[in-house]
Amino acid sequence: MAEISEAPDSDSSKLLGSDSKAPQRPDSEPEFDPKLMRKTKPGLKRLFLTFSVLFSFLLGFPFLWKSVEIYRSPLPFREIDSLSTQLRSDTLLFPLHFHALFVGFDSDPDRLRWSILSEITKLTSQNPKCSDNYTLSVTVDLGSRCLRGPTSSPHSSSYQCGSVTGDDFVQNDDVVVDERLASVFGGKNNEYSMAVVKGVSERAVVGKYRHAWMVVGDGSDVEMAVVKVAEVLIKVFINGGREEGLIRNEFMPVGADGKIVLSFNLLNADPHDWVYDWDFEKIDDTLLTPMIEALGPVANISVESQVLYHTPKASFSYWNQKLESYVFSTKDLPFFVNSNEWHLDTSIAAGGRSKILQFAVYVPSAKECPLLLQLPNGEISKTNGFISPMWGGVIVWNPQGCLKDSEFKPSAKNIIPIQDLENMFEVFIGQFRQLFGFKSLNVYTGASGDWNLLPSERGFTEWELDVLSRQHTCFNLHSCATTLGSLSRLVQSLPRMIIKDEIGKQVKLSLEAAKLALSNASSGVYEFSAASSSQARSLAEDAFFHPSIMSVSYYSFEHCFAVYSPFFLPVSMHVVLAALRELRRYKQEKAKYLAWKAKANTAT
Amino acid sequence: MVLLQRPHILLLLIGTHQFLQCWIAFGSVNEEGQKQEEFSEELLLKPLPDHKLLAHFHFQSSGPPSTSNGCHHHLFPKAISQLVQKFRIKEMELSFTKGRWNYESWGGFDPLSSSNAKPPGVELWAVFDVPQHHIDASWKNLTHTLSGLFCASINFLESTATYSTPEWSFPPASGNVRYGTLPCEAVCTENLTPWLKLLPCRDKAGIALLLDRPSLYRGFYHSQQLHLTSTGSSSEGIDSGIILEQTLTVVLQPNSEMAIEVHASEKHIQPSWSLSSIFGKQVSGRCVLAKPSSVYLLLDRGLSAANGLTSENFWSNPSFELSANPDRIFLEESSSHSKSLSILYMFQVEKYCESEPFDIGLMWKVPVAWLCQQTPLHASRFLMGSGNERAAIAISLKSTQFTEGFMSANSKDGSCELRVDVFQVVPWYVKVYFHSLRVFVDQQPRAVSDIIEKIHVSPSKDKMSPGVMEVVLKLPCRVNTAALTIEFDKGFLRIDEYLPDANQGFDIPSAIISFPNFHASMVFLEDDSLNKSPLLSKFQEKCPVMSYTEVLLVPLTTPDFSMPYNVITITCTVFALYFGSLLNVLQRRVAEEERFLKAKAAKKTGRLPLLLSKLSAKLRGSGINQN
Repeated sequence: MAEISEAPDSDSSKLLGSDSKAPQRPDSEPEFDPKLMRKTKPGLKRLFLTFSVLFSFLLGFPFLWKSVEIYRSPLPFREIDSLSTQLRSDTLLFPLHFHALFVGFDSDPDRLRWSILSEITKLTSQNPKCSDNYTLSVTVDLGSRCLRGPTSSPHSSSYQCGSVTGDDFVQNDDVVVDERLASVFGGKNNEYSMAVVKGVSERAVVGKYRHAWMVVGDGSDVEMAVVKVAEVLIKVFINGGREEGLIRNEFMPVGADGKIVLSFNLLNADPHDWVYDWDFEKIDDTLLTPMIEALGPVANISVESQVLYHTPKASFSYWNQKLESYVFSTKDLPFFVNSNEWHLDTSIAAGGRSKILQFAVYVPSAKECPLLLQLPNGEISKTNGFISPMWGGVIVWNPQGCLKDSEFKPSAKNIIPIQDLENMFEVFIGQFRQLFGFKSLNVYTGASGDWNLLPSERGFTEWELDVLSRQHTCFNLHSCATTLGSLSRLVQSLPRMIIKDEIGKQVKLSLEAAKLALSNASSGVYEFSAASSSQARSLAEDAFFHPSIMSVSYYSFEHCFAVYSPFFLPVSMHVVLAALRELRRYKQEKAKYLAWKAKANTAT
Repeated sequence: MVLLQRPHILLLLIGTHQFLQCWIAFGSVNEEGQKQEEFSEELLLKPLPDHKLLAHFHFQSSGPPSTSNGCHHHLFPKAISQLVQKFRIKEMELSFTKGRWNYESWGGFDPLSSSNAKPPGVELWAVFDVPQHHIDASWKNLTHTLSGLFCASINFLESTATYSTPEWSFPPASGNVRYGTLPCEAVCTENLTPWLKLLPCRDKAGIALLLDRPSLYRGFYHSQQLHLTSTGSSSEGIDSGIILEQTLTVVLQPNSEMAIEVHASEKHIQPSWSLSSIFGKQVSGRCVLAKPSSVYLLLDRGLSAANGLTSENFWSNPSFELSANPDRIFLEESSSHSKSLSILYMFQVEKYCESEPFDIGLMWKVPVAWLCQQTPLHASRFLMGSGNERAAIAISLKSTQFTEGFMSANSKDGSCELRVDVFQVVPWYVKVYFHSLRVFVDQQPRAVSDIIEKIHVSPSKDKMSPGVMEVVLKLPCRVNTAALTIEFDKGFLRIDEYLPDANQGFDIPSAIISFPNFHASMVFLEDDSLNKSPLLSKFQEKCPVMSYTEVLLVPLTTPDFSMPYNVITITCTVFALYFGSLLNVLQRRVAEEERFLKAKAAKKTGRLPLLLSKLSAKLRGSGINQN
C-alpha cells in the first residue's frame, strides 16, 4: 500500500517537474535529460507482480500435467529384460543322465566313458535356445561283477549286475527284448539307458521306453560301438531323431492356452457321384484316444469331426495314361486346399487361443478319380497325402468303385471300409507326428548306421514325449519372453497408453510362472516345468492381447492439446509478453537511473 | 447285446476277417438308423392376393442326442451343435428380417404367417438350461458367438439395457427365456452366406440353388430364421437331440411380362409366374443328402373358395394352369370354422435331374380376387404427442371383418371374451409412466381393471435394463376397436450413447400381440406321408396366432455434438480475456502514459495525429478525471 501511494507521488512530482521544467531546468540541474535519465530508483512492484504470475503458471504446469496424465500400471520392465537375457544367455539347462551298459565286453569303464564323452561333444550341435546338462555313467557287466564308470554314481548303482545277459537278445522279437529291458532299467524320468551286447545277429534298436540296445558281432571292436552309442544318445534321445531343417524346432502346434483341437473333416468333393460317410467314433476310441492320453503332459487335445459336401479342390489334376489315374503334383499343393468351399470352421467349442489342426480326407469326384499325388521325383506318394505345418494334413482317399466304375450305385450312402479308415488314421498319426517335427518312418539313419525305432501303439514313444516336453518348455519360455519383451517395448514406446492393473498383474504372474518353470527345469521336474511354462506363456499372451490395450490409442496428445490450448495459448501469450515488457522496461529505467546517478556523482 | 453277438455268429459262418469288418461298418449304421442325422429341404409357394408370391424355404437338420455321438457330425452343422453344447441352449430362435409383413393382405391366421412374420431387424430369443444366475452370462456369450457366426451386430444385445426377461406372455413361457431385438439392423447377403453354410449342400445343389441373391433382396419382405430346439441333457428323460430349422420367407413380385401381353382390360388378372422367372434359376435335382426334397404349392382357403374348388373338383380347375403335374395333392382336413379348404400340390424334386430341371409355373386364366385369413384383431402402433419432452405410445386393435363369424361361433354362452396378450419392451430412455395406462374400447374410455385381466410390469432402470410390460386384455367379442395408450418422458442420453446417426431417432422394438385362444394350424389329409415332411408336420402344430406391430421411431433431443468443444473454447476465451485485461490493468502506468501523450502532442503539429491524440486523450482523460 505504501508503495502504491508512493508511486503517484513520485509521478506527480515528475509531472510537476515536467510542467514547470521550462523555468526550473537551467538553474537546478542543467544536464538532466528526462529521456535518458531519472532521479528515482525504478519500482520493482510491477515486475514482481508479472513475474509472480509467470512463476505461478510455471509452477502450476506440472500439476496440470499430472492431472491429465493417464493411468499406467507399473510394469516390471527390468525383470522382463532380465528374463529374456537369462534365456538368451543359455542358462536353461535340462539335466539328463545317460547310462551305458556294456555286456560281454572287457574294457575299462572309465576309458569307455571318456571316449563316449569325447564322441558326444563332437556330435553336440550348439542349439541356440535350450541345451541339456548331461551326466554319463558306464557299467561293464561281466556277469558276476560289474565295473562302474564313476564308481560313486547314484544312477548306475541301481543296476543289478548280471540282470542283462547276451541270451536275452538271441530272440528276434524286438518287442519282447524291449519289455525285458524296461523291467531291468525301470525307466526313470530323464534317465536314458543304452545296452551294448555281444551277440550273433547284429541289430540296433531304440525301444519304446527310455532305452536302446545294440547287438554287435563278436569280432567287432569297442570303438565302433562307442561311436554308435554316442550318436543314439545325442541324435535320438536328445534331438528326437529329427533332421535339421525339416521343420524348425520352434514350431510347436500347441495353442497359447495349451490346447489342441484336432478337427477331422471328410470332404465329399461332389456328392452327386457318391457320398461317403465314416464311422469316426470307433476310430476315435481305438486309435486316437491312446495317443491323446500319451500327449497329455504336452497338450490338452480334443477331437471333433464332420463330413462336408460339395467341396471341390482348388487345383487342377491331369490324366496320366500310364498310371491310369489323375495326377496332381507337389507344386499344386499350395492351391489344393480350397478355402472358399472347404468351410472347415474354427471350433466354437475351443477357447480363444487354442490351436486347431485340420485333418481332411478328400474323396475325389468321379471326374478326377482315382487321384494320386506325384512326388517331385516322379514317384507316386504312398500315403497320398501331405501336411501343411501349423495347419494340418490332407489325405486323398480314392473310393474302390471308381477304379472299376461298374456295379457302383451313385448317391447311395456308402461307408468308408474300416480297414481303409484305419490305414488313413495311421497316416494321420504320422502326419501329426510330422507336425510335431518327428519322422514318420521307423528307421533312423545316422552317420554310423541305421537304427530301428520301435513304434509305440500310442503314437509317441516315451523318449519322444520327453523330447516334446523339453521342447515345449523351452518354446513356451522363449515365446513368453518374446511376448513380454514386445509388450514392454510397446508400452515404453507409447507413453499415452492406459495400462490397467489387470495387465500389470498378468505380467507379474507370468514372470513368476516363468521363473518357476526355469527352476523346475533345472532341477529336472519336467512335468511341472512344462505346466508352469505354458501357464507363463498363456498369461503373457493374455496381457499382450488384453482388450483394453487397443482401445486406448484414440486418446491422443492432440486431443489434450485441443482442449487446453484455447485457454493456455492466449493467457500464456499475455503473461509472457507482460513479463518481457516489464523486464525490458525495468532494464531501461535502471539504465536511466544509473546514468543520472553517474552524472550526479560527477556533478558532486 | 443281441447286436453284439450277431457279428460273432457271422464270423463262424464266414470266417473272413475282412468281410466281418465291412459288415460291422454297415451294421452299425443300420442299427443307428432311427437316430441318425437327417436333413430335409422343402419349398412352399403361395400366391398372395396382392399379385405377389410368397416363397418359404424350409430346411431342417436333426442331430441325434449329443451323448451318443459327442462331437462327431455327419450332416448336422458342427458349429450349431457346439453352440448348443457350450451354452446349453434349450431353444433358440434368431431371425433376420427386412421389410414388414403386411398382415392385412398377406394374412395372419395361418401357421406360415404367425411363425414366420417377424419384426424388422434382428430378433433373438433363447431358453437356457442353466441355473438362474448363469443365464445372463450365457446370453452374453451366446450373442457374441452368434454375432461372429452370422456377421451381424448381435453382440449389441449383450448389454443388459437391450434385452429383457419376459415372464409369461412370450410364447415359450418359461423363466429362463431372454429376448432381445435390434430393429435397425440391416440385413444382407453377408448374413445369408453363413446361414447357408449350415446346410450340407449349401447353395450348390437342391432347392437352395434358387437362392439367387439379387432376386431375393429385391423382394418386399425377407426373413431368414434359425430355430433350434434341443432336449439334450435335460431332465425330462426324452432325449431327441437337436432339431435345427432354417427357414427363409420371401415375398416377391412376379415379373409380370406375361401379364403385359394380355389385354389391358385384363389388368386385374394375377401375374403368371414360374420359378425361373422369379428367381432366375431352376432346380436341377435335389440335394442328395436331403430326404425328403419337395416343393409345395399352397392355395389357401380364400383362393380355393374364389376358384370354386371343392374336395370334388380340385383335379380339374378352370382358373389356372400348372406347368408341371403335381405328384400328390393334399386337401386340408375340414375344420369347424371355415367352409373352404386349403389345397396343397406337392412336387417331388427327386424325379428331376440336371438335363430336365424342375421349374414349376402357374398361369392364371381368369382374374381371381380373394382375401387371406386374418388375425382376430389387426394391431398397429403409433406415437402421439409432439415436442422433445413427452409423448405417448398407442396400440390400436381393430377388428377384422373376416373373423367375426368365427367369433360368434365361438361364443357358446353369453359372456364371450377375446383374450389378447400384449408384450412390449421399451428402451430405458423412453421412460414410461405405467400409471398413465388407459384403455379405450370402441372409442369409449374404460376402467383399466375391467379390461386388463393380468399385468406384469418391470420398470426400466437408467442405462441398466429396459422397461417391460406384459398385459392380458379381455375384450368383448363384439369389439370393433380397442386402444391402449401409455405416456412416457423422453430421457436424456449422454453424448456417447447416441448412435452415429442421432437425428434419425431411436427405435422402439415391435410389440408382440398374441391371441392365445386362437391356434393356427393346417392339418392335411393323407397322413401316411405327412410324418415324412417336417414342413407339413410343422403346419400341424398348434401355434398361437401372433402378430408384430410396427417399429416406432422416437425422435429424441439431439444435442449439437460439437457443443462440448464449443463450450470449452468459449469459456477458455472468456477466461483468457479476463486474465489478460487483469494483467494489463495491474501493470499499467496511467500517469506516465499521459505525460508521454502530452509530450507527443506538444511535439507533433500534424492535423490528423493531433486530432487522434485529442480524441484518445478525451477518452482516457475522462476516466482519469473521474478518478
